Amino acid sequence: MAFVAAATLLALAAAVVCGLVIGPTSIGTTRVVGDVFSHVGLGHSTLTPTQSSIIWQFRAPRMVLGLLAGAMLAVAGGTYQGVFRNPLADPYLLGVAAGAGLGATVAIVDIGGALTTPSWTPLLAFGGAMIAVIVTWAIGGRGLRSSTSTLILAGVAVASLFTSAQTFLQQQSSTNSIARVYIWLLGSLASASWSSVTLVLPYVVVCVAICVAAGRALDVMSVGEDESRSLGLPVRRVRFIVIAASSLGTAAIVSAVGLIGFVGIIVPHIVRLLVGTSYRRILPISVVFGAAFLVFADTIARTVMAPSELPLGVVTAIVGAPVFVLILSLRRQTVT
Amino acid sequence: MSTVELNELSVRAGSVALISDVTLNVEAGTWCTIVGPNGAGKTTLVETIAGLRRPAHGSVMIAGGRVGSMSERERALRVALVTQHPIVPSGMSVRDYVALGRTAYHGLLRPPSADDRQAVENVLSRLALDEYAHRDVVTLSGGERQRMVLARALAQATMVMVLDEPITGLDLRHQITMLELLQKEVHECGLTVIATLHDLTLAGQFADRLVLLDRGRLVLDGPSGEVVRSKELAECYGMKLRVVDVDGADVVIPVRH
Repeated sequence: MAFVAAATLLALAAAVVCGLVIGPTSIGTTRVVGDVFSHVGLGHSTLTPTQSSIIWQFRAPRMVLGLLAGAMLAVAGGTYQGVFRNPLADPYLLGVAAGAGLGATVAIVDIGGALTTPSWTPLLAFGGAMIAVIVTWAIGGRGLRSSTSTLILAGVAVASLFTSAQTFLQQQSSTNSIARVYIWLLGSLASASWSSVTLVLPYVVVCVAICVAAGRALDVMSVGEDESRSLGLPVRRVRFIVIAASSLGTAAIVSAVGLIGFVGIIVPHIVRLLVGTSYRRILPISVVFGAAFLVFADTIARTVMAPSELPLGVVTAIVGAPVFVLILSLRRQTVT
Repeated sequence: MSTVELNELSVRAGSVALISDVTLNVEAGTWCTIVGPNGAGKTTLVETIAGLRRPAHGSVMIAGGRVGSMSERERALRVALVTQHPIVPSGMSVRDYVALGRTAYHGLLRPPSADDRQAVENVLSRLALDEYAHRDVVTLSGGERQRMVLARALAQATMVMVLDEPITGLDLRHQITMLELLQKEVHECGLTVIATLHDLTLAGQFADRLVLLDRGRLVLDGPSGEVVRSKELAECYGMKLRVVDVDGADVVIPVRH
């Protein structure tokens, strides 16, 4: 456990350095690190003003947004898997992605011409995501017994409704908007700025903290609803708080970076293989691992085909899908 | 003083009455077993006592407190539950599983205290689970697993324990072991036990008192020896039953016509 935690923190540090150092303009690693230290009063920077602004106005906010997105999506995925006791749960399970997709499409397609894109895109994406989750909860969250499966089914229904509305809108729009909708749907950190970082930061900090604190409750919940209630767990209240926190944090991230798939589902599974099944370990490690994973994935996304970028959702899936299959086959071996 | 009191208890699922007008008092430190045919409402009754179902009418009181108006935590400090098919989460160690019984003591945000850890170790050794403590719960045999579930319930250190068919799927020896462990807790620690059992012979041998339930109604309530010999018991099952005394123990045998 201590070894895994140390290794994950090391990966995080490496991801931070990669995020700052790697890019089309080559600036030496030591000079970048020296510049970072000079900002906290250690030594002097040797960077030119242009290099400094490449680091601090482009790469740093993008790297930080990547950290936040990776941390939030991974911990939300782990939390969902715990609360639904379902290994296939991911942060988009209750319609966050479909709702955000519809909201973003409305903004990009600009029905009525009143929305001055792109500033409306994150706002409507966030609104759409929250509406979808609230509708899902209103339909499926009040059942008495086995209400998690009702909630999942409600999520499926709401997601398909929002997705079909989104597809319809997209169909009706110009080729130009279709391309932009696609880019948004596949997720990207390209539009990252310090203002987008400060916008999502409070959501992510609060929501990640709540999810990590819920680890013990999720461990109790692994014995099922009735038994965990008999052990003293207020199951419905915990479920509500935890789902609200994961969904809110995910909605904030999605509104800033679009739909990045696979992080929320594979990172908690990789972590589970490394540290066991206790959510008290899975969730904090997932925060760090997810942050590092997404920054690495983004570094790949913006460098392999430079100067054009690969959509981040494509990179996470290309890396994520094989890892996921590998985990599934390992699991089968341990079971038999 | 009665530890568990059911007052004119009725439980419904939609328009279907599952339990109708059951009144029952169980004294502290006694073992009361609920018997009756399938569908009699035994599981519903124990779930209601454990606070998992809300009564449509009447109330369940434990040590003077109304179960329906307690928080989950308050309830978990008074009554422990062993379900018929406990969920065993793979990857969890036996010690961690038993420690779940202490959740109500340390809460959800704080780790177990030294007292909590000590309580867990005591229960593990009392039920001879020490040597399995580090094992993954799914690697245990049926008998060991059921003992572990009992250990979790004992770790809750409640005055009342409710068990739904605790010996389902166990072989003869493990059935007896399990029931003897429980009886020891009743005699030595003053635990109050309310259990459901299908095996009438074992029900009669281990309980101080049998309660016969049929179609949600309380049919008979009395000392074990009387209830197993009653004509009501045979009527509820729609069977001819013979009770044979074997070395002082009542053995209930169904007779085919």
